[in-house]
Amino acid sequence: MTGLKAALTLDEFEIPSVIVEKSGELGGKVRGYGKTFPDFRSGRALVSGLVKRVDSTGMIRVLRNCTVSGIRTEGDHYRVRLSDGTSLDAHAVILAFGFEPFDATRQEEYGYGVCPNVIAAPELEALLDPLGPTKGRLLRPSDGKPVRKAAIIFCVGSRSKRTDSPYCSRICCSYSTKQAIEIKESDPDAQVVCFYMDIRTYGRGFEEMHQYAREIGVKYIRGRVSECCALPDGDILVRAENTLLGKPVQGVFDLVSLSVGMTPSPDTSSLAEMLGIELGTDGFFISADGGLSPHDTGREGIFLAGAVTGLKPIRDCILEGTSAGGRAAAYLRRRRA
Amino acid sequence: MRDNAEQMDRRGRGNPWGRHIKSIPEGGYYLTLSCIMGSFFPGSESMIPRVYDLLGVRWGINSDAGSGWTCCTGIAYHGDVMPIEGTLLTVARLWSIAQASGLPVITPVCVTSFGVHLECRELYEKEPGLKEKINRLLMDACGRTFEIPKHIIHVSDVFYRYRDALRDRHFHYTLTEKGTGRPLRVVDHVGCHYSKIFPQQHAIGGAEDCRVLADPVRAWGGEEVDYPERRGCCGMGFRQCMITPNRGATIARTLKKIRSMAPCRPDLIVTNCPGCTTFLDKGQWAVHEVAGESHFIPVLNYVELAGLLLGWDPYETVGIQFHTVPVEPLLEKIGIPFDRSRSRLEGDRYNVGPPFAGPPTAG
Amino acid sequence: MSSSKFPADFDLQRQAFPGDDTPERSAPEDTGLQNQSGANAPWLDRPTCPEEYRRLRLCLDSLSDREILEGYRILRDEKVPRAEGWYYPNVRILHGTAFEREKDRREQKIWSEAHDESEVARWYREAREKPCAWWVENHIIARHALTSCMSCGVCTSLCPAAEFFDYNPRTIMEIVQEKDEQTLVELLRSDTIWYCYQCASCKVKCPRQNSPFGMLSSLRQLSQLKGYHVHSIRGRQQVAARHLWGGNLWNRACSLYYRDSHPETHRDFGPRHETLYRSIEIAFRQVGACPDMSGSLSARKIHPETLQEVRRLWHAGGALFLWQMIDEAAARGAVEDGLTIDEYHDKAKTEG
Repeated sequence: MTGLKAALTLDEFEIPSVIVEKSGELGGKVRGYGKTFPDFRSGRALVSGLVKRVDSTGMIRVLRNCTVSGIRTEGDHYRVRLSDGTSLDAHAVILAFGFEPFDATRQEEYGYGVCPNVIAAPELEALLDPLGPTKGRLLRPSDGKPVRKAAIIFCVGSRSKRTDSPYCSRICCSYSTKQAIEIKESDPDAQVVCFYMDIRTYGRGFEEMHQYAREIGVKYIRGRVSECCALPDGDILVRAENTLLGKPVQGVFDLVSLSVGMTPSPDTSSLAEMLGIELGTDGFFISADGGLSPHDTGREGIFLAGAVTGLKPIRDCILEGTSAGGRAAAYLRRRRA
Repeated sequence: MRDNAEQMDRRGRGNPWGRHIKSIPEGGYYLTLSCIMGSFFPGSESMIPRVYDLLGVRWGINSDAGSGWTCCTGIAYHGDVMPIEGTLLTVARLWSIAQASGLPVITPVCVTSFGVHLECRELYEKEPGLKEKINRLLMDACGRTFEIPKHIIHVSDVFYRYRDALRDRHFHYTLTEKGTGRPLRVVDHVGCHYSKIFPQQHAIGGAEDCRVLADPVRAWGGEEVDYPERRGCCGMGFRQCMITPNRGATIARTLKKIRSMAPCRPDLIVTNCPGCTTFLDKGQWAVHEVAGESHFIPVLNYVELAGLLLGWDPYETVGIQFHTVPVEPLLEKIGIPFDRSRSRLEGDRYNVGPPFAGPPTAG
Repeated sequence: MSSSKFPADFDLQRQAFPGDDTPERSAPEDTGLQNQSGANAPWLDRPTCPEEYRRLRLCLDSLSDREILEGYRILRDEKVPRAEGWYYPNVRILHGTAFEREKDRREQKIWSEAHDESEVARWYREAREKPCAWWVENHIIARHALTSCMSCGVCTSLCPAAEFFDYNPRTIMEIVQEKDEQTLVELLRSDTIWYCYQCASCKVKCPRQNSPFGMLSSLRQLSQLKGYHVHSIRGRQQVAARHLWGGNLWNRACSLYYRDSHPETHRDFGPRHETLYRSIEIAFRQVGACPDMSGSLSARKIHPETLQEVRRLWHAGGALFLWQMIDEAAARGAVEDGLTIDEYHDKAKTEG
């Protein structure tokens, strides 16, 4: 999303650009989302709208299944070496390669990768997607049984020193609440229990969505889950403390979804090294001037946008794509002058 | 070490489960014995040196009048009558003796000791100047000096390391049913102070899927069976079990553990902590009396299990008569011969007491 | 020390202490305790009613320090030869008696007076005069046990004590974090802190890498140093803990002694245990252990030289000071309740 938006912004300034896309399709992770929060618009539709515009302008070249293998300064521009052996010249580079979801197997006590009915949020997203493998029916992986009781565990790989991810991932509270609403709306008799530490639905419309979830009967229990155990029939026993009551609680669920946080994309460190851009202790890029120039790096003409500088919801990524495109355009104009 | 990693991969756990691998040296073990094991399962304690000798590993324990081993004071520390400095000094003395003997690897028998030794080592890392201070106090008190040991390895780690060697070269029996060859169903209970205090660095497989017992069980022919309360505390609780009026707290936990295991129809519970062995075993009588449930699933620690599979005498060497839950039905399943009269428990006491239900037999 | 003895020619079970040439002997006449290990030993009584407690106390008070210390030592070291090695028949008779506890108290008092106060004991003595909030910031265990807590409840979730008692490690960490003196004092006077099992289920899960069970351990030390523990039933039990584990350590260099599981206090261990216990020494010898004998396995009779060495360590490590604090609090409690210290001890051990 961020990259597409940046390219389109450059296009408005009549500046030609090349999108180097690692996968076979544009649109990143949003492409796979049936619905996005807080307004339940289709992520797929959001992406296809942007891709259509990218395709219709003559100024944007798209290289799919392509990665950057090296960047070096050559005269007044950068020479970008590509994985297919070719290279291209650019006066400015925008880094907008997003994030990586937290690897849920690292939070071992939840049994992800061991118990089939413990899944991670991207898998729940696919199960809820009308165009997904189950055509939107929530069936659990072990035996295809329709899910009547689901638990959603927040802060998996977030706010924990143990997994070396002490930060808040910012979007999990909201996307989980959106998923809970989807389950509840498709089956009002289904029970959905969210285990949370603090609910951080901070954006416009986010908190209203959270309130709506509670109104339609999604249950929220304040307490970090300590472990998930598989029972012989495949059900999952979940334990936590209800910290508002001060009592340990446990429940048995058909399915448990882990709301994984975000971690830096695995490409971050190699690119940081290649370009000499500073990384924060959290592993994300640091922008220049102590954040006063949010898109700039220590390297002239290299700009940052979206989740590469920390975690953001889609809306913020769109904003960042737009402003990074504008920032690059301003840079290129001054350079010409 | 590579051997351990391959084991993990074979099981398809992938990286995260195999991450918690530690290196287990092949010998140079200084054995520190356990006040709980020695009090309740003396046979296990005498068997460890025999197993070490059988494996031909270099090991030792001190016998000099003034340099004898002592308890690590762990129970007193967790029972709140020993300040940490007293424990640090007691442990430092043991390290000093081990190092003077040229045995660099500390191998506590007891899980509480294992935790205590590691906790001491961690304190030295966290507290600048502490090592110098304890060394000074140790020198003043008994003229000894110590270094922080590189290796603190639980004896169950040693058995883990040599599990295949034991099976291939020494065992007479496997964990299978005589006649049918059915692998026996085994639930494990890993002591909390083995896996929970320093799960990342010192527990094989970590706290959540600890392999220290499960892998030997598989290697020895048994079937590893999971159960929901697997990682729960046995209830020992130091002051909870030792001060009589508190023991209800212990038994309540034993009840939860046993109730969680029972539907899995285990043939055997295997443990690596002397305290857990005691209360999962003896506690089953209390469960029988208090809750009216006669589970009576045999409990063995890894040493006893190895001893039985080695073909050592169940009464004269292994000491199964020290168990509240009779082990004899398990021996019959495996086909290990035993002479009941050797138990020295009167004949009618062979069965636990009132109606002996026995563990459920599978199939 | 020589390391050449093991493992090749060292027999764990039969090894007599090298250089152990103590002659076989009975208690000498001048201790007044001669031949008293049999029936006529009023100071070895295990009383059951107030009258017997009073009688025992009068008897113990009538004995001098020397009679008690020397008498104990001689009885303890009295030995008879057995095929497997030396056997010390009196250890089991002395174990767990009011006499042994009296001996320990007097011996430790003499010991403390004869040695300079250790620097560890001095630290604890000064710390007990300071506010509880100071303690949680400065005690070596407490200060590593809590950096910051976000009250997520993962500790309570798996806590065995929280499952059964009105107990919540999260709220305890919250109280500690708050550092309100009055609330801390209330906590230290309550039964609450004594419910923890010390299992570490909390430590392994904490996303902030705190150690609630470590904090609890530290708070319990403080409660005893300040004498707050006697205000709760569970805390009062520490006088029994001090003599059970402390007594075993002081006299046998092991926190546990194999006779601690007497069927009378361990009825829940069942009839098989009772049967076994009746001939427990034989059962121990059957599997090659050395109950109350020379040797190197757990139930062995500890060699006096080893014992002497660790006693010096426990003096240096502040244990004697802690035990003294527990004893003083118990003595005050006994006076308040109008009981002898022996009855107070037995009551604390069985109450709850």
